[in-house]
Amino acid sequence: MAYIWPIGGGKGGSGKSFLTSSLGRLSARLGKRTLVIDLDLGAANLHTLVGVPYPKKGFSDFIRKKTFRLEDTVVETPFENLFLISGAHDNFDVANLPYEQKIKTLRAIMKLDYDSVLLDLGAGTSFNTLDFFLISQHGIFITTPEPTSIENVYRLIRSIYFRRIRYCFNVTDFKALEDEVVIQFGDGSFNKPECMIKVIADVYPEKYEQLQDAFSAFRFKLIINQVRKHDNAALGMQMSRMLEKHLGLHIEFAGNVAYDDHVHDAICQRVSFLDRYPCTRTACDLHEVGKQIVQPGGQQLMFRYL
Amino acid sequence: MPKDFTQLNYYEVLDIKPDAVAFEIRHAYNAALQVYQPGSLASYSFFPEDERQDILSLVETAYRTLISDQARKDYNEELIRRGELDVRKEATSTAKKPVSIFNISRNPVAKVALTNNETLKNKINQSQLIGDILAQNELCGADLKKIRTELGVLIEQIAQETKIRHDHLRSMEEDHVARLPAAVFLKGFVKSYLKCLCLEPVEALSTRYMDTVARLSQK
Repeated sequence: MAYIWPIGGGKGGSGKSFLTSSLGRLSARLGKRTLVIDLDLGAANLHTLVGVPYPKKGFSDFIRKKTFRLEDTVVETPFENLFLISGAHDNFDVANLPYEQKIKTLRAIMKLDYDSVLLDLGAGTSFNTLDFFLISQHGIFITTPEPTSIENVYRLIRSIYFRRIRYCFNVTDFKALEDEVVIQFGDGSFNKPECMIKVIADVYPEKYEQLQDAFSAFRFKLIINQVRKHDNAALGMQMSRMLEKHLGLHIEFAGNVAYDDHVHDAICQRVSFLDRYPCTRTACDLHEVGKQIVQPGGQQLMFRYL
Repeated sequence: MPKDFTQLNYYEVLDIKPDAVAFEIRHAYNAALQVYQPGSLASYSFFPEDERQDILSLVETAYRTLISDQARKDYNEELIRRGELDVRKEATSTAKKPVSIFNISRNPVAKVALTNNETLKNKINQSQLIGDILAQNELCGADLKKIRTELGVLIEQIAQETKIRHDHLRSMEEDHVARLPAAVFLKGFVKSYLKCLCLEPVEALSTRYMDTVARLSQK
């Protein structure tokens, strides 16, 4: 079974697609059959970054039932061992993926036969993004060291936490739970997952156990992208420490990636940054981060969509 | 589920061990301020404003309590009463010392075999071969090697004892005239070699060796 790495970050422009393509390249170079999937539905551009400007097939063929197998939408890239499912040339309503299509996609992704699969997710906290993120316990969060981006990544982390709780309940139970939280912790506290989990521990002990197992199985990672020289290099450690202390969620800090104008140049010239500028600080950082991510430890656990 | 932040004890708030010294406490306090103060990037938008104020005042109280000896003692006693702290851990008085990374033994251990002069001298007196060699008019490197092997001393031991490089010792023993060091060094080297093997008289033997080498190099 493939290792699946969903890559998400709250805000647009924080480098999700760039990191997905770079990590995909690094993993492919190590001889692993790597597939990158563009799940930024409606705003896809991963194909440009991996050197396939006009993909023949794409994800929408699967949605429009032109093909029945997700494998048939895979296109090859100029790089050895690297494959792509593109989101280019979608029909315009693909961003609002209906529920049954989403479940179908999630199941198909889990059955793919590759060594590692990287999912490039869209910005924002729509249910699609959250569900695709929760497909594996190896999710990667990306943020830049700016308040806007950090605000969004915290929001994404909380939303994912919330979504995972939501999986355990049906609609009426969840509504009752929300009411209970408001009674205990006051107005507005129903969107604080840390308050909600306390109520669950009291009211539904067996579900609480279940959620504890799920949360402790998460191996989420955090990458700080576009770090300038004068930025605080310890930011990632501080964030991961704070999340652990206040949200009880263990998110490992995987490293900083330096800011470099050459990334912009490489994208404009439509060449691979790692090939064109292999000795820059940023490329070294990407290698360091890639090492931790390409060689995972432990067993891949999947959420079951039945 | 981790404990609620407001229910942590002061050590947990600052992320330090109960036996932390003042320096560590101050350091942890600074680190906590960096995370929680209003302008901080790490906690931006993470807490509502009033919650942040509560956390900051808690950090402040924790620091003020732990940094003052008397207040810390009282607080420790309270923690022990609550059963959150072991009595053993409370003893903080012993100053921490730097921990050595490598365990380097500075005592000369390897010398033992060689410094045992008496046994070497006995061997020299008893050995027929050594007597023959020393009786000759000449003393070349091969002879030195014979004596050394007869005494059962390794070339590495000589190198360690005399601090002469291996390749010099080897070219001396093999009579590689071209590779020998300059005469002024060679004389000193052969003297230490002889001393190391307890061969007497050093002066006469070394002169004899130097003459032999001089004759060899003229050939």
